[in-house]
This record gives sequence, structure tokens and C-alpha cells, in this order.
Amino acid sequence: MKTLLKLFVVAGLALVGTAQAKDIKLLNVSYDPTRELYQDYNEAFSKYWKEKTGDTVTVEQSHGGSGKQARSVIDGLQADVVTLALAYDIDAIAQKAKLLPLDWQKRLPNNSSPYTSTIVFLVRKGNPKGIKDWDDLVKPGISVVTPNPKTSGGARWNFLAAWAYAKRKYGSDAKAQEFVSKLYKNVPVLDTGARGATTTFTERGIGDVLLAWENEAFLALNDLGKGEYEIVVPSLSVLAEPPVAVVDKNAKKKGTLAVAQAYLEYLYSPEAQRIIAKHYYRPIKPEDADPEDLKRFPKLELVTVDKEFGGWQKAQKEFFGDGGVFDQIYQP
Amino acid sequence: MTIQRTLAVAAIISVPIWPVSIRAQSQESQNIDTKALLQRIEALDQEVRVLERKQELDKDAQADLAKTQPHLSLGSSGFTLSSADTNFVIGLHGLIQLDSRTFFNDGGIKGNDGFILRRVRPIISGTVYRDFDFLFVPDFGGSSPTIQDAFVNYRYNHALQLQAGKFKSPVGLEQLQSDAAMPFVERALPTDLVPNRDLGVELHGDLWEGTVSYAAGIFNGVPDSGSSANADFDDDKEFAGRLFFQPFITSSREPLRGLGFGVGGSYGSEYTASGVSSYKTDGQQKFFGYGSTVVANGTHYRVSPQGYYYYGPFGFLGEYVVSAQDVQKPGTPAVSATLQNTAWQVVGSWVLTGEDVRYNGVSPAHPFKPSENQWGALELSARYASLDIDPDAFPTFASSSTSARSASAWGVDLSWWLNRNIRVSTAFDRTTFKGGDSGTVTKQPENIFFTRIQLSF
Repeated sequence: MKTLLKLFVVAGLALVGTAQAKDIKLLNVSYDPTRELYQDYNEAFSKYWKEKTGDTVTVEQSHGGSGKQARSVIDGLQADVVTLALAYDIDAIAQKAKLLPLDWQKRLPNNSSPYTSTIVFLVRKGNPKGIKDWDDLVKPGISVVTPNPKTSGGARWNFLAAWAYAKRKYGSDAKAQEFVSKLYKNVPVLDTGARGATTTFTERGIGDVLLAWENEAFLALNDLGKGEYEIVVPSLSVLAEPPVAVVDKNAKKKGTLAVAQAYLEYLYSPEAQRIIAKHYYRPIKPEDADPEDLKRFPKLELVTVDKEFGGWQKAQKEFFGDGGVFDQIYQP
Repeated sequence: MTIQRTLAVAAIISVPIWPVSIRAQSQESQNIDTKALLQRIEALDQEVRVLERKQELDKDAQADLAKTQPHLSLGSSGFTLSSADTNFVIGLHGLIQLDSRTFFNDGGIKGNDGFILRRVRPIISGTVYRDFDFLFVPDFGGSSPTIQDAFVNYRYNHALQLQAGKFKSPVGLEQLQSDAAMPFVERALPTDLVPNRDLGVELHGDLWEGTVSYAAGIFNGVPDSGSSANADFDDDKEFAGRLFFQPFITSSREPLRGLGFGVGGSYGSEYTASGVSSYKTDGQQKFFGYGSTVVANGTHYRVSPQGYYYYGPFGFLGEYVVSAQDVQKPGTPAVSATLQNTAWQVVGSWVLTGEDVRYNGVSPAHPFKPSENQWGALELSARYASLDIDPDAFPTFASSSTSARSASAWGVDLSWWLNRNIRVSTAFDRTTFKGGDSGTVTKQPENIFFTRIQLSF
């Protein structure tokens, strides 16, 4: 009987070995506008990994508003990696679902942000409403398109950029709140994510100006409607630093930890930085990017969330938490 | 020029000017009106677009919400409630079989004709946390309620699953077939030699897209055709396993896909009187039993090569079983022996209405609906089976006058599958015996006519 038991266990272990697949699947849960970027990047990484290890990696993508995506992962979406719009959303995954360590941001260079972006204005061809800066967005009769900060990371960057400008110009939080209040009175519809807002502005033809991720604005300019739009660079904007992280518990459970780590590390490689710049994101290693791609990025004054608002934990609670500033100024 | 003339001249001169200035003012106000109108149209257009977009977003939000809502389904597969992500599922199904048995020329045996609720089983199944399945099946048919199945199964993946509880032992092919799907009303003679349900732990899975299925487990151990009570009658355990091949299951050549063959078996030790069994006919009448003092006394192994072939409306199933057991008749001296009983069967099925027949039953292409000239599916089956007792069993361990040395049975079954859930069957089975000339059952052939009405969902 004991011999039989031993045979039983050995057979089981052998079958476990047989059952592990050499085809590896990763799920990258990302924010809304990164579809095109990761389509190209995933192809490049798969090729790189195949050459390095012989294994086939297929990366599935999920896109949506950053906050919404974070909640999905907390609720059980089995992401191997998350590439979200802001650190706060990944912090939420670490704190509420304990799927990765709290100090996740230290694990990759540049606070785990392989690329940055900012917020600009996209207007219709000829800029018929003469929009030049933030002040023009609060004028009566101007219709502004921006997503919902409750669900969208880009929307939160938009909000903070507007607040930072108003506080600089008008001198107080109260004035900034008044400014942002007027701005949101000019917002006719709130999409759940940045890509939805781009659709609203470009395909549905709603609004005079879209507050957009810089990469979304370039995408609209060059791919969605050539010659139909213009980018207006405001005098001041926010430095957006979308971070990336391995979701350790999920990756360990699925046996994909090593590949997931390599997938994010490769974002810092010369090839990836070139792809990043090609897709209108600002690479953190510009020396690896095509200079022609770099020329497209305008120079403007950028503020950071850390310096201007005391960090994302504080900013999230103050502006976007339940009962926060956004809830006070915006009634649907 | 007089003032009047001056005034008159002025009036005359100015007359042509009036229409021009009126026209100019009129043109300007028209332009203003047109511009205002265009602005108004543009504003209205924007309002309409915004309303349409809001509707679109509301629909998306509702669709997103629907994805998080539990899903309820009710249909031919029963009632199922599942979470939006299907990680949690509970299903309620059932099996009711109402039989009638009529024996012909049975030598005056009383009480064997009649109606019987053969199986009345609510079936509760489900999944928790995506990877853990469970099944609970009580049975209220028969003489007293019993727990037929109660187990939990952990799915690491299709190839590796661990099951624990009470469930069918992985040995007999016909025994493993669903009670609702088997072509005949009762299982055949070879199933007398294999274990029914047992308490234990089993590793199982499907490899290479189902071309190989395996199961290997450790169980309490039960006598032939026995089911485990909620305790073991001895301390020894039984190892049971099965390897089954469907080498062409993924083939593009359809005629080959339905071929399956394999072998099941068990090995263990049994002691005590509870370790020996009796054997029943198709009519569920006992035709062989060990002497009242005979006990199981050691090793008990079974081997069963088995196979089936299904192609379109035709199906064939066959199995051979060897059950070899150490027995003892206590006494002075006690007498021990290893008795090897064997059985085999072949079954053929033909769905007359053309639907495919499979190991898990028939699915009518046109469920019963007479108003639309739809009549369900008709399945005709024929079977031959035989069971031989080890000659060394007689006369020490069994009475040659009241127990048969062998039994051979043939049967014909006609099943009308009204739909996936309702089936009506009629069958005739005849069993002949060698030996047991004085046995109540075995002194004449058994001829039995069955009917069954079955509800399964």
C-alpha cells in the first residue's frame, strides 16, 4: 500500500510538470488611451522574449478609465501587470487588495514610470473659439470635453492642471475652486475614460475643446482626423507620470512572475523607448528615441503633483474622494 | 426757391433714397437674423449630440453593470445561478425515474411486479472561488433515503484535479455512465462485479485535449456492486484507477472521433462479512450469494478492459470484468480460497430518428411538439451479457442448489426521448441460469418487461 502511495505521488508530480504550458499569457490592465502603444510594444516584447527564451508570450490587454481599472483588479480581475494613469490607483490595489507590496514604486526606475505625458488642449481646425489658455475654458458659451475624475486618471490630471493654473494666477484655493467650478459648468458630458472623451470630441463632434493627454491629442491630430484639429499648448500644465507594476500575487499564482517582471523592465529598453516616443508619449530616456519624434513635444511649464499638491494620497482625498472638491462643484 | 419748393425738391430727391436705406437696413438685419439662426441651430445640434452621447454612455454603464450582476438561467439543463464572473455558481438539477416491472413465468414469486420510484434525486452542484466544484445528490427512491454523491473537486487545470468525498469509483464503464443516459433501464451483469460509489480521494484529469483521461484514487473499499456507507467496515483501503483513451477525439476524420478504450481496476483488501457481495439480475433479483458465514479474507482486485464506439446514430459499448477476491469460510479448519468471477457485455444502440448517440445520451433534434409534427428521438438498443462464478465457489462458499454458476442475459430496449428532459423507455430482458436449480429466482429463466418514465434536468 505504501509503495502504491508513493507511485501515486510521483505520478501526480509528473503530471504537474506535464500540465505547465510553454505558451505564456499575460494580462496587462491599462488605462484608456494606451491601446496603440501596447499593441506595438507587446509585439516587440513577444519577439524579444521568444528570441531570449524560446517561450511564446501573448499579452492580452484591458483598457478603461484608470480608477475603474484599478477597482476591477481589486475586485478580482487577474492582471499580471497594471499600467495605469497615476500612482494612486496602483496604491489602491496594494492597500485594499494587498496584491503587491506598498513600496512597489521603488522597484523600477523613475518611480516606475517609463514614460511621462502632460495635458494639452485639442481644438477644432482654425480654433474658431480662439482658445489660447485655461482662462478661455471658463468663458460662457465654451463647451469643454473632459472625462469623469471619479473613473478616469486622465480626468484627474486635467482637474489638477486647471487647479494649478488657477491657483497660480488667482492666488488662492478658493479662487481656484471657483475657477474649476466654472470650468465644469461648461462640461456637457463626462465620459468614463480618456479614450471615451476623445470619441465624444472627435467622432461625436461635441464640444469646442478637449482636455486631453498629450498623446491622445497627437493621435487625434495625426490619425483620427488629419487636418481637422489643432493642439493648443496652455501656459502651464501638469507632469503626468503614469506608472507600471507587476501584480505579484496574481503573477505568482499564474506562474508568470518572471515574465511579468521582464515585460515591465523591457519598457525601459532602447527599443521600447523608441516605440513610446513614436506613440506620442515622452520617453524617460529621450536619447533612445527618434529625434524627429521628440521634436513634436512642445515645451511648456510643468508642475508636479508632489510639489503642487503634496502627493497623490493627499490630492485624491481632497479633490476626488467622496465629498471632496469635485463632488462639491459638480452635480450631474 | 421758396421754402415749400425746397422742401418739395428735398422730398422728391429723397424718395429714391428711402428704398435703398430700407433695403440696406433690411439686409443687415437679415444677416444678423441669419447669423443668430445659424448659431441657434449649432447650439441645438450640440444639444442633440450631447443627449445622444449621454444615452450612449448610459447604455455602456448599464452593460458594465450587467457584467457585475449575477446571472440566472433556467432551461433544459436545470436551474443555475452564477456570479457575473462565474467564480461562484450553484445549480439545481434532478432525476426522477418511475419504473414498472412485470415478470413473466417467474415461478410464482410474489411482490416483484409493480411500480417503483427507482431514483428520486435532487442534484445540487456548484462552484466556489472558480476552481472548487461540489456535488451533493441524495436519493429518495428505493427503500430509504441515501446520500449517493457528496464530494468536492479542486480543478488546478483540466489535467490535474483532486476530488474527495463519495462518488463513483473509477472502474466500470457502464457504472460510470450517467443514470439518465444509459440505454437500458438497468445496468448489465458486469456492473455486478465493479464497485458503485465509495468514499475516498482521487486524482483525475484529461490530458492532450481529452485524448487521455486518467483517474487514480484511494478509497475505503466496497464489495462488488457495493456503495460505501458513511464508515469503513475494515481498516484496509482500496486503490482504484482507470486509464481511458480517445485517440481520435480531435481528429478531423469524424468516423474515428467516437472511439474510446481503456482499462479500469481496483486493488485492495477486505475482511469481514461485509466484504462479500451477492449478484443480481437485470430485474434486480438475487441469483448468487455466498454462504451466510463466508467472509472476505484479504486481497480483492478487479480488472476491466472496456471500450466504446459512437458514430452518428450508432453506438457500441463493451466491457469485460474480472473480480478476484480472497474469501474464507470460518470453521475448524477454516477454508480459504481466491475466487475469480468474470463477466462481460456488449451493447448496441441505434437512434432510429437519426440523431447522434453518445456515451452521455441522446439529444433530440426535434423535441416533442405534435402540433408542429415534431416527435422527439427514438433509440433502439440491444444487449448481451454474461457472468460466470468461479467453480471453486461451490459447494464450500456458495450453495449450488440456490445460487447459479452463471447467468446470461439478453435484452432489447426502446427509448423515446421526447426532449432532453423527458424519456420514456420500454425494455424486455431475459436471463437464463446454469445451476441454482432450487433457487427461487434461478430455477427458471427470468423474463421481465420494464417501462420507465424519466425526468432529468
